[in-house]
Amino acid sequence: MQSGKSAAQTVATVKPLQIRGRTFTAIALHLSGRPDRAFFEALEARLNQTPLFFDNAPLVIDLEQAEGLDRAQDLLHLTAELRRRKLSVFGIQSGTPAQAQAAAEAGLISLPGGRDAALERVSRQGSRPEPAPAPAPKEPANRLIAQPVRSGQTVFADRGDLIVVGSVSSGAEVIAAGNIHIYGRLRGRALAGVNGDDSARIFCHALDAELLAIAGLYRTSENLGADTPRHYVQVYLQGEVLRIESLK
Amino acid sequence: MSKVIVVTSGKGGVGKTTSSAAIGAGLAMRGHKTAVIDFDVGLRNLDMIMGCERRVVFDFINVIQGDAKLKQALIKDRRLENLYVLPTSQTRDKDALTKEGVKKVLDELREEFDYIVCDSPAGIERGAHLAMYYADEAVVVTNPEVSSVRDSDRVLGLLNSKTALAEKGDGSAVKAQLLLTRFDQTRSANGDMMSVEDVLEILAIPLLGIIPESTSVLKASNEGTPVSLDEKSPAGKAYIDAVGRLVGEQIEMRVNPGDQRRGFFQRLLGRTA
Repeated sequence: MQSGKSAAQTVATVKPLQIRGRTFTAIALHLSGRPDRAFFEALEARLNQTPLFFDNAPLVIDLEQAEGLDRAQDLLHLTAELRRRKLSVFGIQSGTPAQAQAAAEAGLISLPGGRDAALERVSRQGSRPEPAPAPAPKEPANRLIAQPVRSGQTVFADRGDLIVVGSVSSGAEVIAAGNIHIYGRLRGRALAGVNGDDSARIFCHALDAELLAIAGLYRTSENLGADTPRHYVQVYLQGEVLRIESLK
Repeated sequence: MSKVIVVTSGKGGVGKTTSSAAIGAGLAMRGHKTAVIDFDVGLRNLDMIMGCERRVVFDFINVIQGDAKLKQALIKDRRLENLYVLPTSQTRDKDALTKEGVKKVLDELREEFDYIVCDSPAGIERGAHLAMYYADEAVVVTNPEVSSVRDSDRVLGLLNSKTALAEKGDGSAVKAQLLLTRFDQTRSANGDMMSVEDVLEILAIPLLGIIPESTSVLKASNEGTPVSLDEKSPAGKAYIDAVGRLVGEQIEMRVNPGDQRRGFFQRLLGRTA
């Protein structure tokens, strides 16, 4: 109820498919001119140096310096020759529009090659997407919990104060962007001003906390000290020191 | 209208199964038709504590999976007219429990029984979650000891958020009450054990009963007799009182019912647990 999580998540469901993003590394083969006999000889020589290294590696043909190569037939031939040498060709990059067309006919995909190409493409389209308007500053929203906060529960007031009418058990966590008010005993952890508000304070009827934190500065129960007031206290930051003071 | 009561604790070994058996028997003694279900799949204990382990043919999992009818799996108690046990499987694990399966069985039991007592396994995983999921009320079994109290607190949080009633979101909640077991007044007074007040202050739920630490509990378990059938023992009396409160009677809380009759030497020597 307080955590707002759904228990329905515990029931496993079987999805028919999943789509996930994936990045991987491919090899780019830079051609200079048409793939003639000399090219294949040089390629053979290179592959023989590391016989297994390129086996079935995904490979892209870079056509930046291969201007004449713009017929589907040429690309089909080249692809067949490369695949015969166990190179898994799947696309081209840096091609002219004619080469891209030829690649599509040859069953290869045309990849945008590198950063320069991407920028060129944007400028060619002539319009950059408008930057999204800055989100309106959110209204502060306080959160009131009228039950004890139990061990294992986390209550988070992300845009304001958190008020707990009841105790916060050991093993529970109360977190707020603003102040935390506990009308009961604080036995768990309380973290106020978590977005960096160092003027946030923690108030509680009885203090038995595992951890107290304001704007990231914290003290654990171990270093609270025996002379720390334990009833009707406030906790606040004074400079870099977390002070615990009786309200009486 | 029938009620589903889960007996739960989080921590193991605090007396959930003993309490389930005693509460089930106590309800049946009062004339309520009662079924006790063992949710501890794989660690079948309830049937032993209730003394019917040699009569188990079909179990809860068989019923969930449609291999047996509910009537075939329910075991009628030989001592009490209104008491039935639905044992669990020793050979399966908790994955055999499904939300839909548990709902189906509970719905069927609700048609016939006044009270359905669900004996939860320890922990807060699948078995414990499903045992509490459809409950109307909860009996949280706690020992007067810090780790048990903290685990009970965790379970209370789950009862407030991960049950069918809580998920309705209309403010309804599982009514949870505390059953403090293995309580030893002498040790509590000495400060060796937490006091009733300390436990209540942390858990902040109504107290259903205090069961004194007693040799009769272990003896009853070994004999396969629910403790509440032993009306002479302090623990049996305490369970009978707790069951009375569970059905809504006002019964004065006695830390150790029947304590007045202790002999001079017993008083002189203190209580031996």
